[in-house]
Amino acid sequence: MTTLKKPDLSDPQLREKLKNGMGHNYYGEPAWPNDLLYIFPVVILGTIACCVALAVLDPAMVGEPADPFATPLEILPEWYLYSTFQILRILPNKLLGIAAMTAIPLGLMVVPFIENVNKFQNPFRRPVATAVFLFGTAVTLWLGIGATFPIDESLTLGLF
Amino acid sequence: MKIQFSRVFSLRQLAQAVLRQSLIAIAAITLLLTGGLSFPQSAAAYPFWAQQNYESPREATGKIVCANCHLAAKPTQVEVPQAVLPDSVFKAVVKIPYDLETQQVLGDGSKGGLNVGAILMLPEGFKIAPDDRISEELREEVGNTYFLPYSDEQPNWVIVGPLPGEQYQEIVFPVLAPDPGQDKSLHFGKYSIHVGGNRGRGQVYPNGQASNNTAYNAAKAGTIAQVEAGADGGYSVTLQPAEGDAVVTQIPVGPELLIAEGDQVEAGQALTTNPNMGGFGQVDTEIVLQSPNRIKGLVAFLAAVTLSQIMLVLKKKQVEKVQAAEMSF
Repeated sequence: MTTLKKPDLSDPQLREKLKNGMGHNYYGEPAWPNDLLYIFPVVILGTIACCVALAVLDPAMVGEPADPFATPLEILPEWYLYSTFQILRILPNKLLGIAAMTAIPLGLMVVPFIENVNKFQNPFRRPVATAVFLFGTAVTLWLGIGATFPIDESLTLGLF
Repeated sequence: MKIQFSRVFSLRQLAQAVLRQSLIAIAAITLLLTGGLSFPQSAAAYPFWAQQNYESPREATGKIVCANCHLAAKPTQVEVPQAVLPDSVFKAVVKIPYDLETQQVLGDGSKGGLNVGAILMLPEGFKIAPDDRISEELREEVGNTYFLPYSDEQPNWVIVGPLPGEQYQEIVFPVLAPDPGQDKSLHFGKYSIHVGGNRGRGQVYPNGQASNNTAYNAAKAGTIAQVEAGADGGYSVTLQPAEGDAVVTQIPVGPELLIAEGDQVEAGQALTTNPNMGGFGQVDTEIVLQSPNRIKGLVAFLAAVTLSQIMLVLKKKQVEKVQAAEMSF
């Protein structure tokens, strides 16, 4: 790379920042114009091309009109709602289900406040947030996969 | 209050018992009347029974009506192309797998191989390809299967069967895609295909009468008072509940008895084995009716995008050289 800017380690301010795990934007490749003007459009065009290709090759289907008097045999929402759907489905009480659903964003909102005593940004140095994230991901996958199973084996995923 | 309550309750039970008795009597009479007609046919799976009884083979809930008589669930698979061009012939393969060793009970109580049948609900405008459009290769795969349109209004729904399951675990449908350029009511896009595949005989006839390919259960709790062998190989089981009249269950030839005279049975307990080996399964899949012009346009667009991306990277490399020369960053 001919345009790599080396960190100026004689600068005491930069050294102080680097010590605290910050200041990485003071060296490296310049964002303007190298990235912002030339590489961003490459990525944007690529994204547009992918969307257009998908829209042409695998267009969205117009489904059947909904009939409120005939519930389909298998009801499943869009895939990204599987885990929420599973929460609603397995809880015996609708109010409890809604409370559980509401608790998720509320609980996530609390995490940064709890972790606020921690001065590090690095996720490996933020154990609470990372633990909540990993646990949440595992539970989401578990519930989401379970949503596609019959309800009696949806929690064990038919494994036990 | 309590006594009155229980009295009402027993009255209701009595009424239920009477009702059930009369229903059984009616069932027995229909069995006598229709038995001679339906039993010689009943060795086969009959997709056209759905045709006779239902205007659409798919209920509003998405259930294919074959499941109303073929009560057991067995998997069915379908293979269709992801996308097809207009006015082209493609094949839709319906797979109805089962163990070829299995034998089912036939209408006369003897054992025999399973038959298969299928229904393919194609989107509007699709139909079975006419003979002159089918290639030699495809014709060989299709064999001499006879495809029957579900109704005059819906030639895009096709039923097949009954066919011997030994040769037709895979049923190949030669399908002709419509051309939206010719027929203005049709459009390019994605459409759903509904497929039902069945192997073996049904458990219920369309008139609601149970076939001899199902388990018979005790109508209520009680004692088996009498088991009488019928002339045709079936049984007539008399069940004496603790109170009320005896219930007679006619069991046709086919299922084997699990109980003997004098046994105590619970309500709903199986009186016979379940001889059914088959089952029905349905799948939904999707197919894209693709416009060749869209593909051409897409290829041109993707080429243009790729070219601009390459140009952008080249431009960046050029700018990098200037930057390196001027060291102006």
